[in-house]
Amino acid sequence: MAMRNAYVDQFPSEARLISAAFWSSFLALAIGGSLGLVQALHRTDYLRFIDSVDYYTVLTAHGVLLAITFTIFFLVGIFTWAVTTSLDRGLEDLRFSWAWYAMMVVGTVLVGVSILGGVVDSIDMQADVLFTFYAPLQAHPAFYVGLVLFVVGTWLAGADWFRTWWAWRGENPDERIPLPTFMTLTTTLFWYLCTLGVALSILVLLLPWSMGIVDSVNPLLSRTLFWYFGHAVVYFWLMPAYMMWYIMLPKLSGGKLFSDPLARVVFVLFLLLSTPTGIHHQYLDPGIAEGYKFIAMTNTMFLLLPSLLTAFTVVASMEHGARQRGGTGYLGWLKALPWRDPVFTGMALAGLMFAAAGFSGMINAGMNINYLVHNTWWIVGHFHLTVGTAVALTFMAAAYWFVPQVTGKQLWNRSLALGQVLLWFVGMTFMSNAMHRSGLFGMPRRTAEPQYQGFNFEPAAGTVGEINAQVALGAALLTIALALFLLNMVMTTIGGESDAIPDNTYAGTLSGPEDAPVVLDNLKLWTAIATVLVVFAYTLPLASIIDAGGLFGPGIEGFQLTIGIDPAIVLESVREVMP
Amino acid sequence: MNIHTYEKVWLAAAMVLIVGFIATITYGAVGPGIAMIDDEAGSIDPAEINDDERFAEPGVEHVGGNEYEVTVVAQAWSYSPAEIEVPANSEVTFYVTSRDVTHSFSVVGTNVNTMVIPGQVSEMTVQFDEPGEYGILCNEYCGEYHHTMEGKLNVVPEDEFDLTELSVEAPDEVDAGNETTITANVSNGMQEDLETTATLEIGEQQSERDVTVAGDSTEQVEFTVDTADLGEGDHDWTVTVDDYEESGTLSVVADDGNASADGGDGDA
Amino acid sequence: MRISPGALLVVIAVLVPFVVEFRTALSWFGVELSVLESVALAGVLVLGLLVWAMWPQNGGEMGSADSN
Repeated sequence: MAMRNAYVDQFPSEARLISAAFWSSFLALAIGGSLGLVQALHRTDYLRFIDSVDYYTVLTAHGVLLAITFTIFFLVGIFTWAVTTSLDRGLEDLRFSWAWYAMMVVGTVLVGVSILGGVVDSIDMQADVLFTFYAPLQAHPAFYVGLVLFVVGTWLAGADWFRTWWAWRGENPDERIPLPTFMTLTTTLFWYLCTLGVALSILVLLLPWSMGIVDSVNPLLSRTLFWYFGHAVVYFWLMPAYMMWYIMLPKLSGGKLFSDPLARVVFVLFLLLSTPTGIHHQYLDPGIAEGYKFIAMTNTMFLLLPSLLTAFTVVASMEHGARQRGGTGYLGWLKALPWRDPVFTGMALAGLMFAAAGFSGMINAGMNINYLVHNTWWIVGHFHLTVGTAVALTFMAAAYWFVPQVTGKQLWNRSLALGQVLLWFVGMTFMSNAMHRSGLFGMPRRTAEPQYQGFNFEPAAGTVGEINAQVALGAALLTIALALFLLNMVMTTIGGESDAIPDNTYAGTLSGPEDAPVVLDNLKLWTAIATVLVVFAYTLPLASIIDAGGLFGPGIEGFQLTIGIDPAIVLESVREVMP
Repeated sequence: MNIHTYEKVWLAAAMVLIVGFIATITYGAVGPGIAMIDDEAGSIDPAEINDDERFAEPGVEHVGGNEYEVTVVAQAWSYSPAEIEVPANSEVTFYVTSRDVTHSFSVVGTNVNTMVIPGQVSEMTVQFDEPGEYGILCNEYCGEYHHTMEGKLNVVPEDEFDLTELSVEAPDEVDAGNETTITANVSNGMQEDLETTATLEIGEQQSERDVTVAGDSTEQVEFTVDTADLGEGDHDWTVTVDDYEESGTLSVVADDGNASADGGDGDA
Repeated sequence: MRISPGALLVVIAVLVPFVVEFRTALSWFGVELSVLESVALAGVLVLGLLVWAMWPQNGGEMGSADSN
C-alpha cells in the first residue's frame, strides 16, 4: 500500500478540530441558506408561508448565520490548517484549541436561540435587530453576550495561531515566515484591531443598556463602532478566500504562485487599510463631518490596489500553470486549465464573480454616487457577489479538497461537485443582476414587501415583475446548489477511508520569499502603522460624536418594535405623541 | 524586490485608476457641488422634538426667492408630514430627524437619500427642476411594520404652488335684526406679498374684499352680515380665497325668544 | 472534441451571465428581448458552441491537456 500523506495522517488531532469547525460552518450554511430562499420567495411574492412581520426575524438569522457563523467557522478551520501545514508543527495545546471552538459554539447557540425567540412564543427573548443590530432597536442581552463569546473565541483562536508561530520561531529564528502563516497572522492582526470596536460597543454601550444598567444609548456612536468593525469583517472573510487563490489555485492549475513577495505586500496592505475605511458605510449618516467621509473614501479607493494586484498574480499564476500543462496561445492556454476539477473551477468562477463585485464596489465607494444606491437592493446584489460568491463559492470549492484531507475519505461525487459550483455561479448571476438593477430605481433592501401603497417603482429597463422573477429563480438555483453541496459533504463523511487522497501540499512559488524584503515580515511595524492609521481616521469623528451626543446619548431608551398587533392601532398611539 | 515588468505596468495602471476615481469624486464634490450629509445641522434630544423650534411643526416653509425648507419627523412607521408639496424650479433644504429608532428618508429613484438617526438632524439641499410625483420610503429596518413606512413628495408647477392658509371664524347663531361678522384669517407662508380676493357667499348674497397679505403673516378680512337681508332660518355660507374655501351655517333666530327669556320668569 | 467536456460545461455556465447582462444592456438601447427570445438566443449560442466543440479537428493541433 502506498504511503498516504494527507493532513489527517500528519495532524490527526488537528484534523478532528478542523472537521468540527467545518461541520459547524456547514450547519450554519444549511440553515441560513434555506432561510434565504424563504426570504427571496416571500419578498418577490411567489410563495408566502410566514407573516411579513416575521420576515425580519428570518432576515436576522440569515444574516448572522451566513455572514458571521458560516464564514468564520470555516476560516478558523482553514487558518488552523494553514499554520500547522506551513510550519509543519501541530498546535501547542489541543485542550486550548477545543476551548476556543467550544466558546464559539456556545456563542452561536446563544445568538441563535435569542433570534429564534422572535418567532417561537415559548422562548421569552427576541433579537429582531438584523445582523447590524443598530441601537436603539434592542435585542435580548443573550444576543449580545453570544456575539461577545463568539468574538472572544476567535481572539483565542488567533492566539493559538500566534503561539504556534512563536514556538516555531524559537526553533527557526532565521527563517522567513512561510506564506500561509504570514497570511494568517496579518489577517488575525487586523481582526484584533477591528473587533476592538464592536467589543467596546457591546460591552460598554449595548449590553449594560439591554440589561437596564444604563438607561440610554448614543445611536450614532454604537453605529460608528459597529462599522469600525463592520467593514474589516468582510476582509476577515475574504482573506481566507484570497489565501486559497494564492496558494491553492496555482497548484491546481498545475504551476506555481507567480510572486511570493507581492502576496506579502497584498496582505500587509489589507492589514493597514481594512479598518480605517468603515465610515464609507456611513456616507449618508448625519453627525459625521464630510472631511472624515472623504478620508474613508480615499482609504477605500486605495484598498482597490491589493485586490487589483491579486487579480494580476492569480491570473498570471493560472496562466503559468496552464502553460506547464501544455497550453499555448494568447488565450488558448485557458483551454488547458483543469476545468473538470470542481475545486479549481469553483475557485476560478468565484474569482471571476469577485471581479464583477469589485466594479459594483467601486460605485458604492464613490461618496457622491453612493446617494443613489445606499441601502437599496443594489447593495444586497453587491455583497451576494462578495461574501455570497467570492467567499462562499471559494469555501465550498475548497471543502471538496479539505474535507477529504481532514477525514481521509474520498470526495463522494466529483461530477456532482462540478455541477454544484456551476449551478451556484448561474444562480447568483440571475439573483445579483436583478438586485443590482432594482437598486438603481430605488427598490430598498431589508423589506418584506415588493410594493408600496402610494407609488410604483419605475425601472429604467425591464419590469418589476421580471426583477422579482429573476431573484426567485436565482434563489431557487442557489438552494439546489446548496443542497447538492451538503449531500456531497454528508456522503463523503459517511463513506469509507480511502488511500487515494492526494498529499497535503500547497503551491510553490516562482519568485520566493528570498526576493521579499525582510521588512515585510516585521509584523510589529505593520501593526503599529495600522494602529496609527486607525487613530487618524477615527479619533476625531468619535470625539465629535461623543461631544455632541454624550457617551450614553441624551436619554434614548431601547425599542423593541415587535408588537404583534394591528399596525393601525400602533400608528394611532404613535400619532398621539405627534405635535 | 523582484517585480516582473508586466506587473509593474499593471501596478501603474491600477494607481492611475485609483487616483482617477478619487479625482472624479472630488470633482463631484467641488464642481457640481454634491455635498455629503454631515454634522452641520447639529444634534437634538428626541424627547424634546415637540418643543423644538424647527421640528415642533414639521412641514414646508418658504425661505425667500426659490428657496424652501422642509422639516420632517420620522417615527415607526410614518413620516410627519406624510405628504410634502414643493414647487418646481426650487431649492429645497430638508431637515429630518427621528423620534425613535434609525430610519431613512429616501425619495425613490433619486439621489435624495439620507439616514435618519435619533439624536441627529440630517440636512440636505436639493434642486427640483421639473414637476413630478415621487414616493418616499424608509430603507433602514425600523421594526416589524418597516415595510409600511412611506410618504409622498409632489413637485408641482410653480404657478400652482402657494403656502396660503385660510381659517374662518363665524358665529353659529345670531338674533334676527342684528348685524354680525364673519372673519376670514388669510395667512401667507411665502415671503412675498400675497394679493388676492376673499369672497363670502351667504344666502343669495355675495361680497368680495381685496386683500394684501404681507410675507409670512396673517390678515383678517371681516365681512359684515346684516340679518335683516337674510331673514330667519339657516343660511349656508362659504368663504373662498384662491383655491381654498371654508363653509358653515349661520342660524338667524327670532329676537323675541331672547326677550321672553330676559323678561319672563324673573328671579325677582 | 476541441475542448474538454469540463471546459465546455464551464463555458456554457459563463455564457449565462453574458446573455443576462447582454439583455440588460440591450434594453438601455430600447431593444427589449422577451424571456422566450432570450432563452432562444441562449439556445442558439449553446448550440453553436456545441457544434464548434464537437466538430472534428483537422490538423495536428494538440488536444486538450486535461489530465484530471
